[in-house]
Order: sequence, then C-alpha cells, then structure tokens
Amino acid sequence: MEANQSHNLDEKILRVIAELSLVRLADIKPTDRLREDLGMDSVASMELLSALAEEFDLEVEMEEAMAITTVDGVMEMAKKRLLAA
Amino acid sequence: MITQATIFAGTNTDEPDVLRSLTQNIDRFGRERIDAKAIDREHRIPRELLREAAVLGLFGLSIPEEHGGAGFSLSGVCTAIAALARWDRSLATTVGLHLGLGTRPLVAFGSAALRERYLPDLAAGSKIAAFATTEPAAGSDLSAIRTTATATATATEMATETATATATNELAEANALIVRGDKIYVTNGGLASVVTITASTPSLGGARRGHSLLLLEREDKGVDVGPEESKLGLRGSSTVPLYFDDVRVPMSRVIGEPGKGMSHLEHVLAWGRTAMAAGCTGAARTALMSAVEYVTARVQFGKRLAELDVVKAQVAKMAALCFSMEALVSAVGLVADDPDRLLRRSISAKVFASESDWTVVDMALQLHGGSGFIEETPMPMLLRDARITRIFEGANDVLLVHAGTIEIAQPDTRPDFVEDASPRGALAQQANAFHRRVREKLEALKAAHGLRLLRRHLDIHALGRLVVLRDACDAAVARAIAEGSDSAHSLAQFFLDGAQVEAKMHLEPCPPLEGVRTIAGSVYAEVVG
Repeated sequence: MEANQSHNLDEKILRVIAELSLVRLADIKPTDRLREDLGMDSVASMELLSALAEEFDLEVEMEEAMAITTVDGVMEMAKKRLLAA
Repeated sequence: MITQATIFAGTNTDEPDVLRSLTQNIDRFGRERIDAKAIDREHRIPRELLREAAVLGLFGLSIPEEHGGAGFSLSGVCTAIAALARWDRSLATTVGLHLGLGTRPLVAFGSAALRERYLPDLAAGSKIAAFATTEPAAGSDLSAIRTTATATATATEMATETATATATNELAEANALIVRGDKIYVTNGGLASVVTITASTPSLGGARRGHSLLLLEREDKGVDVGPEESKLGLRGSSTVPLYFDDVRVPMSRVIGEPGKGMSHLEHVLAWGRTAMAAGCTGAARTALMSAVEYVTARVQFGKRLAELDVVKAQVAKMAALCFSMEALVSAVGLVADDPDRLLRRSISAKVFASESDWTVVDMALQLHGGSGFIEETPMPMLLRDARITRIFEGANDVLLVHAGTIEIAQPDTRPDFVEDASPRGALAQQANAFHRRVREKLEALKAAHGLRLLRRHLDIHALGRLVVLRDACDAAVARAIAEGSDSAHSLAQFFLDGAQVEAKMHLEPCPPLEGVRTIAGSVYAEVVG
C-alpha cells in the first residue's frame, strides 16, 4: 500500500471512529483505547467495527473484532484485510 | 385521612414486614384519598394530595436516611410504585419519576455538597424533581442533544485538571456554565423545583464524549417553563417543555464526572425504566381484578361469563402475564448493584412489562364488553394510561435492538436451574432449554453474518425479542420455584407455553431483509412520491 493511500485510509477510519464515539476527529490519537479513552463500551466498539466492515467491505470474524481494543488495532485490522483482498 | 409522619424513618432495609406495611399504607391512602377519575378529568393532581403523599413519606423512599429519606433499594421502590399504580397511574408516574430519574442522579453521582443541599427537601416532598433529556431533534438518539453548557476558560481548566464532581471550592463557585437549549416532554416539569438535564459540554472532561448531567433550579434566571401538554393518557401528570436561555449554572452543580454524563445516564435510565415497569405491574393487576369482578357478576346465555371456558382462558393468560411481569421486575431489583445485569434486566423488564400491561388492559376491556368503552368504568383510562409506557423511558423497538446488540457483544450467562424430578424441575428444564435455543440462534446468526450482523437490525430486533422472552421465562420459573405453590407453578407453566409459541416466530429466520426494504420502499413512494 502506497504511503498516501495508507494516509487516506487512516483518515477515513478516524472519521468513522469520530462519528461513532462523539469525540472530535482532532482529539483522537492512534494509541487511544476504545473503551477507556474514547468512552466506547463493548457494544459501541462492535458497532464501530461493524460500520468499518460495511464501509470498506471487509469480512471480519466477531471474535477477532471483539479482541480489538485500540484505535491502532482498528487501523491495523482494516489495513490487513484490505491488503489481503 | 392519613396524617402519620413518614412511616419508614429509622429503617434502611427492605424487610418483608416493612414492605408489607408500606403496601398497606399505600392501599389505604389510595382507597381513602385518591380519586383517579377526577385527576384524569381535571388533568391535574391536587396539591393537597401531593402534600399527603409527601407526609406518607413516598417522595423520600429512595433517598438515603442520612438525607431524610427511607433509603430503600430499587426493589422497595418498585413495590411502592406498583402499589400506587393500582390506584392512579398519574400519581404513580409523578412519584416514580421523582424517585427514579428525578433524584437518582443526585443520590448515585452527586457531590456531598449537592446531596446535602438538595436531598432533604426532595426526601420530604417539599420539592419535587424532574429529569429533562428529550429534545425536538433528540428522542431515542441522545447523541443528537443540542442543549449546550459552555464553560468559561477557567472553568474548563478546572474541570480538565480535577475531572471530578466534588470540586466545590471557591474557584468552582466563581465559575459557571452557560446553558442554552430546549427540552420537551419533561415529566414533572411543571411541578419541579429542581431538574437534572443532559447537556453537551464538549469543553469539559478533557473533550472526551462531551455530555454532562447538570442540576438546574426552577428559579435560575433564564429557565422558562412551557405550557402543559394535552395528552392521551397520564393526564394528571405534568408534562411540559423547558427553555434555557443563557442560564448561569455554577460548576458545582455538575452531577458526577464532567463529560461523563452519558455513562452516568445509563445507570439512571436503568433505574427509571425499572420503576416505570413496576407501575405497569400495578396497573395490570387493577385491570385483571376489574375484569374478574365483571365476569363473575355478568350473566349472559344463562351463565356467568366466568363459567365460560373462553373467558377462563383469557383470565388465565392475563393472570400469567401479571405473575411474570411482577417476577421480572423483582428480578431487576436483585441485580441493582451489578451494572451490566441491571442494564440488561431493566431493558427486558421495561419492554416486557409495558407490552404485557397493554395486553392485559386490552383483554380486560374486551371482557367488559360495551361497558369497557364507557368512561364511567376504569377501563378507558387504564388503556389510555398504558399506551405511553411502550414509548417513554426508551421506545421499545429501540430497546429491543439494544437488547439484541448487548447479547451479541456479550452473551448472557447464568447457571442452569436444577432439573430435579419435581414439577418445578420440569419448569426448570424448559427454561434451560429455552436458554440453549437462544444461544444457538445467536451462534447461527454470528456464523452466517460475522460482524455485519450488527448492521442487520431486523435480525437483532428478533434476537432482542428472544432475550426479553427468555428473561421473563427465567423470572417466572424462579418465582414459581421460590413460592412453591401449585398456583405459582400453573401460572409459570401457562406463561412458558405461550412464550414458546411466540419465540418460534423469532427463532425462525426473519423475512429477507431485502424483501422488507422493497415493500417499505414501495409504500413510501406511494405516499410521499
């Protein structure tokens, strides 16, 4: 994946996170934890991952999604799936 | 006339004899003092009646003893609300709102200073509390709240640094939030001296999430109370819009942690939902009793209606629903200290109790024949009062999707009921089997759709229905086992049989999503072009 493609993808993912977490885009850091830092409970975290799966047409197992706890983790999961596609 | 002072002073337990005494006192109060038809007709609860309810101690039931209340648990509060709702739903709603959404934020999350300042008057009933969150553009979607509370720069720094609600030092008092916005459908709004509101506070709490709970006083400059709504039911309860025009609120009146209002709200709403569900159980009992009185007196075709098997079947269904509703509301009280289970069970109790209330009242009205349509009987008012319960405190369809989503994220677990050789063992076996079927359905949905399941709201809604039915079955079986009587066993068995039939509809695959969308699309096009 090219650097600019990767950057655009990161931004798209962050926008979805901002929309669902109600946290301003500029305030979200890659190291943020979905629950503790962004206030997303397990339901909200899964809804986020589901929204991303739909947005980017990703196939994600429920158990794998539930193991993701950080913004970094979300971005890695999305990139891994997109590269594999 | 009842004039005794608060009957629960000196106790903070929900011992059975205390609850029995409470129920007896409320029954006497209801019989001697409450004229539900007058309240409905005049669209107001007489001030004198509210004062008498206060003297009886009803407004302080859930408030800690140290602040002048009775310190009852959620279970005790539910017992009181159910008893009151048997006599009048408007008064039960007024008291229930005060005990739940109205004062729970302060009791659970308020600073010591806030509690000391406000709770004594609220416990005595000399002040009534309201709760305001709904807005013209924010109903079930609380993230759409537009009411803002803007902090001064100093206040923002303070909240970020301390991130606690106990910051009541001089700096806090010197700084304030400026509240702007409108709230609608505020229950108790026209009676209340204090109201807890939800407001967007993006500048507080480190810019995360950005909603806070704030305590406003009716007398705060800039608070305006709109006219009473004309409603289908609960006509005696107060429902008004509130307007906030640059209301200056000291930082010390933030309830709980700044910026964490939504997470506090989850607990508060769970209490409110449960208290409301308790009201449904009381009203449904009144409807059942009224129907039984009618069918045992009414003679047609040379027989009392009560002797007809078709009528007996309807009375049995109503009784089984009342039994199960009461059991499920009681079950919520048992998990009040477990946030996860409180959330789950309160949703199930609210949905199940409000829908069962509607069913029972409708069946009772039907059994009254033509007289049930006449306002002189209690049935029309009971029906009108019941209708809102499927909407407020979380619309049922939204809650069903929420229940299904929670189950997907974290499947509920419980130890199996003991399946011994007794009749109760047979009930246990059925409840355990139902649990397994719901779990299998969930696993099948996850396997078929993966993470995309969370976007399939029809499937989640159906799963939510199964969760509610499962929880109601569990509660009915647990109650039957605890009571141990043949009557309780029969009621639980009757309910389980009906629940299994209903569950089949939701265990089978939903109608194809695309089919539903196509039909809805055609209807929309026909109506709006």
